[in-house]
Amino acid sequence: MKVWSKFLQDIQKVIPNSVECEVKMMHSKSALTRFANSQIHQNVDEESVEVYLTVHSNDKTATLSKNLTAIKNPSEFYQEAINVVGNSPVDENWAGLAEKKLEFQGIKELKQSTPEERAIAVEEFISHGKQMNSAGYCSTETSNYFIWNTNELSSADSSSNAFIDGIFRTETSAGSSHRGGVSLEELDISSAGLEASKLAQDSQNPVNIEPGNYEVILGHEAVSTILVFLSVYGFNAKSKIDGMSPIKLGEQQFDEKINLLDTPEDSKSIGFKIDASGALKSNMKVVENGIPQSYFQTRRTSKELGMDNTHHELFGWGENFGGIGTNLVLQNGNTDFDSMISNVKRGIYINEFWYCRVLDPITQVVTGLNRNGSFLIENGKITKPVGRLRFTQSFISSLSPGNVLAIGDYIRYADSEFGEGILQVPKLHLKEFNFTGGVSG
Amino acid sequence: MFELLDIAIESAVHSGAKYADARILISKSRNISAKNGEIENFNESERIGIGIRALVGSSWGFYSTFDLSTDSLVNSGKQAFNIAKASSKVSGKDIPFADVPVVQDTYTTPHDENPFRMSSSEQIDLLINSTEEMKKLGSSRSFGRLDFWDTEKWFSSSQGHKIFQNIIESGGGISSLSIGDGETQIRSYPQSFGEYRTGGWEVIKSFDFGQHTARLAEESQRLLVSPQCPEGKMDLILEGSQLALQIHESVGHAIELDRILGWEAAYAGTSHLELNKLNKHRYGSELMNIVADATLPGALATFKYDDEGTPAQRVDIVKEGVWTGVLSGRDSAAIAGVKPGGMVRADGFGRLPMVRMTNVGLLPGNSSLKEIIEATDNGIYMETNRSWSIDDLRLNFQFGCEVGWIVKNGKISDMVKNPTYTGITPKFWGSLDMLADENEWVFWGTPNCGKGQPSQIGHTGHPASPARFRDIRIGVRG
Repeated sequence: MKVWSKFLQDIQKVIPNSVECEVKMMHSKSALTRFANSQIHQNVDEESVEVYLTVHSNDKTATLSKNLTAIKNPSEFYQEAINVVGNSPVDENWAGLAEKKLEFQGIKELKQSTPEERAIAVEEFISHGKQMNSAGYCSTETSNYFIWNTNELSSADSSSNAFIDGIFRTETSAGSSHRGGVSLEELDISSAGLEASKLAQDSQNPVNIEPGNYEVILGHEAVSTILVFLSVYGFNAKSKIDGMSPIKLGEQQFDEKINLLDTPEDSKSIGFKIDASGALKSNMKVVENGIPQSYFQTRRTSKELGMDNTHHELFGWGENFGGIGTNLVLQNGNTDFDSMISNVKRGIYINEFWYCRVLDPITQVVTGLNRNGSFLIENGKITKPVGRLRFTQSFISSLSPGNVLAIGDYIRYADSEFGEGILQVPKLHLKEFNFTGGVSG
Repeated sequence: MFELLDIAIESAVHSGAKYADARILISKSRNISAKNGEIENFNESERIGIGIRALVGSSWGFYSTFDLSTDSLVNSGKQAFNIAKASSKVSGKDIPFADVPVVQDTYTTPHDENPFRMSSSEQIDLLINSTEEMKKLGSSRSFGRLDFWDTEKWFSSSQGHKIFQNIIESGGGISSLSIGDGETQIRSYPQSFGEYRTGGWEVIKSFDFGQHTARLAEESQRLLVSPQCPEGKMDLILEGSQLALQIHESVGHAIELDRILGWEAAYAGTSHLELNKLNKHRYGSELMNIVADATLPGALATFKYDDEGTPAQRVDIVKEGVWTGVLSGRDSAAIAGVKPGGMVRADGFGRLPMVRMTNVGLLPGNSSLKEIIEATDNGIYMETNRSWSIDDLRLNFQFGCEVGWIVKNGKISDMVKNPTYTGITPKFWGSLDMLADENEWVFWGTPNCGKGQPSQIGHTGHPASPARFRDIRIGVRG
């Protein structure tokens, strides 16, 4: 806080009235304890202070970023930015700075974990499958974000997160689980260890099944990956601008059971309550009863599309990435896991997807594989573990009207192909999912 | 800078570490992106800091900070030791550490023109002109980007290493996107996501974007009205940049020793390779000769020493189709009983060094692309990657490319869209039967290889020339 105040005071002295300017500082402490072959083998801790300076002068824009050590003094840093602006072309899409009325102050004291506390968490996870080989990590992070601009907006917020993520392996199988929250104390590490351990034990000696269309029940991580793809490639307003978004606002694209929210105001939500521009975020409906309600907008995308800014600008990414929802919640249904299984005549349970990639942005046809726990379901019962399968499936179609048979009754933070702490989701029961290959290719 | 490193290292060793090393980095980057003739993003960044690692028993402890004051450096050494020591609660066998020559040396990437010491105007103009041209020629969207990195790195170890390296990397690319009725088609040059090498502005000039804008605009539009890639089994001819990614995914990651040892099992995965099959396992046909060579002038993963002070070197990975080598560091090599390969690098000062691909490439054969096509009766030629996916053992893969060309009776005929192919690693490489020669051998670079936790982005190289694979499954669609 003191570092920010001093830096801001110094740089404000050199910014003339004629220049629009935005100054951001992120102070983070992050730590990650990593284990493999059932022992901690890597253990890292980092403290960083990053500063971003955006200058808009004579219709031109430039952004410079440095960490604190790389800035000799604020005045010189500002002058460097002005020099870069001089070489830049006119910025036709400049959308201005966040307005003062959007500011928010939420700085609070946060406690960072010790390596000993993380080791205890790892020990607890591993204890649930001592006879197996385990690997994974326990991580924690605390961050303070400060932003000021020449509209006199001054915002700041604090954020923390903690995750445990791991797998158990046997000679022929693996099982994984994940938990996330705003602090280490909040994580149910025992349930994560038990879940991963059971999946690994139950999925030993898998059988190979023929590819084809199957009814599926998707675990939390698999559901999370579908939604993160739709968020990044679909609901991101920049994808809409670039002509690559499959999302059509106001149309019944998804099953009416699908209700997706962005919940930055929720106390359980990980991350800042402000976006990178310093604007206070609000809870919003992304999909209501299967109908898309809004894209994730930034200053620039909202100007270009002529739509309201939803304040989903990401720190550090600049404008390259567009807007992303980072507090997504897929609303739970009322079907428990056992009931889901009992309703399947012949299908597959997939715990987690792996290495998913988009083949076609507009249809969101994605290919990927299963891992860490997959089972054949026959006549309402899990009958045997199944091996490697490759799917090639439109993620839009997977949630289309009529294809979502049931939504699980329990939501939790789930890891995804693009990271953790972004999505809280339940399990899903889908009518059809297209598998295009097995172990033989 | 070496004096500062020594303060941190001495602090770690004094605390009880059996080995410690540290790196101070000054990392500069410039990233410029353009769309439709306008600059969309211009960012310059600079980071300075130290990362120190300490080995205690069965774990590495690593601490990094931006603060280079004496107090902070002393604290950093202590922290690295304490973090490693805390791991003893869940410990295993002590980590061994192979010896390498202790050297004091300096190295700078050979380059003609440092991209940071020239005005950005020329760089900006190149992107504006290229994307404007493609837009005028009918592209729905035209994209371009340039990226430059200038990394000054000081490395010291408790064994006495003192190495300074200045690595300069440059790259970028252009793309034309065409939007049709419910579909998009894209063509990129030099490859999707750009082509990257060590060197300066001369790297970008050698790409000559202006010679390719018209072709990209025309091909992306023609793809919209082209037929779908056929489904079935046929001969597959891969253009060099797609083959480079095939090497990266199905060979490069599989031979990483940390994966083979299970250190990456939870995230990046493991490998289908088992150490007891080294020098015995048949990876592919006799035409398959893969080397990991960090000494190739101009390739993206070229340096003089890795981030453990091990000299850059050339290691045989696959010889005449037989698996012969791995990518290793000083700890993993000692465990596996092989010579340290000098393949450990970190993404900046704030990350723990880990096994990373160097320039893992397929040595050239003795044909030409023209001869390969002339020798093919029923096949498809695929260019430029569009999607990639492979399982966590690096066995079951599926790739999509931007464009396919039907090859019938020795001639290229129709363009087809949405080409994909799928296979299983050893079977696929076993079907390699023709390979273009050194005239078409290009040092392809991949600047976005993700691995590790916390996540690290690595820069890897993959020299390759076009090649033919027999009887491959083509045209998988959802």
